[in-house]
Amino acid sequence: MDVLFQIIASGLTLGAVYAISTVGLALVFGAMSMLNMSHGALMALGGYMAWFTLTGLGLPPALGVLVAVGVCAAVGALIYLLIARPMLGAEGFETRIFIATIGFGAVMESAILMAFGPQPKPQPLAVQGGIGLGGVHLPVQNLLILGLSMALMLALGLFLQKSRIGMAIRATAQNRDAARLMGVRIGGVYALVLAISGGLAAISGITVSSLSSLLPNMGGDPMLKAFIICVVAGLGRVPGSVVAALFIGLFEAAVQYTIGVRFSFALLLLLVIVVLIWKPQGVFGRHQGVRL
Amino acid sequence: MPDDLVVSHLTAGYGHQTVLHDLSLRVEAGQLTALIGPNGHGKTTLLRAISGLIPAKSGEIRLGETRISGLGAAAVVARGIVHVPQGDLLFPDMTVLENLRMGAFLPAAGRREKAALDEVFSLLPKLRDRQTQIARTLSGGERRMVGIGRGLMASGRVLMLDEPSLGLAPIVIEQIYEVISGLRQAGRSLLLVEENAMRAAGIADRVHLLDHGTLAWSGTGTQLSGRPELLETYLGV
Repeated sequence: MDVLFQIIASGLTLGAVYAISTVGLALVFGAMSMLNMSHGALMALGGYMAWFTLTGLGLPPALGVLVAVGVCAAVGALIYLLIARPMLGAEGFETRIFIATIGFGAVMESAILMAFGPQPKPQPLAVQGGIGLGGVHLPVQNLLILGLSMALMLALGLFLQKSRIGMAIRATAQNRDAARLMGVRIGGVYALVLAISGGLAAISGITVSSLSSLLPNMGGDPMLKAFIICVVAGLGRVPGSVVAALFIGLFEAAVQYTIGVRFSFALLLLLVIVVLIWKPQGVFGRHQGVRL
Repeated sequence: MPDDLVVSHLTAGYGHQTVLHDLSLRVEAGQLTALIGPNGHGKTTLLRAISGLIPAKSGEIRLGETRISGLGAAAVVARGIVHVPQGDLLFPDMTVLENLRMGAFLPAAGRREKAALDEVFSLLPKLRDRQTQIARTLSGGERRMVGIGRGLMASGRVLMLDEPSLGLAPIVIEQIYEVISGLRQAGRSLLLVEENAMRAAGIADRVHLLDHGTLAWSGTGTQLSGRPELLETYLGV
């Protein structure tokens, strides 16, 4: 019983971490058919910015996180202005932007490496202590991450569903030309979506590094997981990717406890293969590319 | 003060392909102007150029004193030119109500959203009962009504309708044309693209016939009805 509870607790934490990084990717793909391969580098940038503002500048934690989110959001908007916008509407946009953002991500990772060095650094935003619940130990850090992630997802969902700008984002995702005819400036929507995704990447990078440590290439593994989750959920489906993230977190935790850590990635990929055979467009995907 | 929509020496198309060649015509305020002509001869392209979905290669488009060519789609809507596109282009995963509200997206239209919604529901009562339905699940006729209703929500000065009867059952076409005729009687400036020349002749104040991207003939609806040879030459009917 305790083991089951422990698996659920760590699985949900893992899933919550995945959800934050996945939703950013899904939002951008849903709105503009763009796979942002520099998402992992943005996560690393966010983690390092938090480290730099807290340890280097001595800012209070809330302000440090805000700066990290702001910097990554600004870089996200820059990715639109400098990389995506010149290619928009060109033939093969999806392939071009995929390759261009791989390049941009590599540049960003190298810049982080040059600025902060290759040694792992501890993320100062880690909270010590834990809560005992029966025979189960729950670290406060994990509970915080779970709460933060759910609050963020809820806020994002409300923003997309209820606000005027959220409606414009969904409209652009569902029919670009129609959105333009309603008076939506789609360039602004794209810049905003990439900025939101950048801000989420920063928070994701902070949470990931608080569970392990900061490294310039720390975003690679969570981004790979985020892609897997996006594919399982159906590319660009935002609410579906949150559900899939939690499910895959639980799946990984269960495999790690019962069979062993070394099998978890292999079994995860097997799960993806099974899902894609069963539903090639993803569990929540639909054939004709409408998303959000 | 209502303004005429004036197209002068417009050349436009897609990429290297030019569809409209040095086209000039006028859509008079408070009238229903119909565009007829064979398929693929520039009717939809003209609407797309007016609404800013495609750029003009040369020439210009004005609404009264304001030059609207070169502004971009969002700015053209803001000037009051509303385009109800062919094939509806609804937001498929939104509800009917959300689709309609998107029509009043710009702040000026948003301020009178409630009044506009009441107008749309009184003109298209069926939509009132379908408010919470997801657009993707509507029938073809209902979709068309949402498309027109969404265009009306913008409270614009000129409404452009691209083939509102396309692919609909005769009884639904009749309903749609009742709505259009109501808008005409209310003194709205309307630009209507219609495949069926006789239907256009029956309702329009003025008819422009487009052929190979140029203006082949222009006159009143009544004049068109008296020129069967025109229809035979250009439309093969």
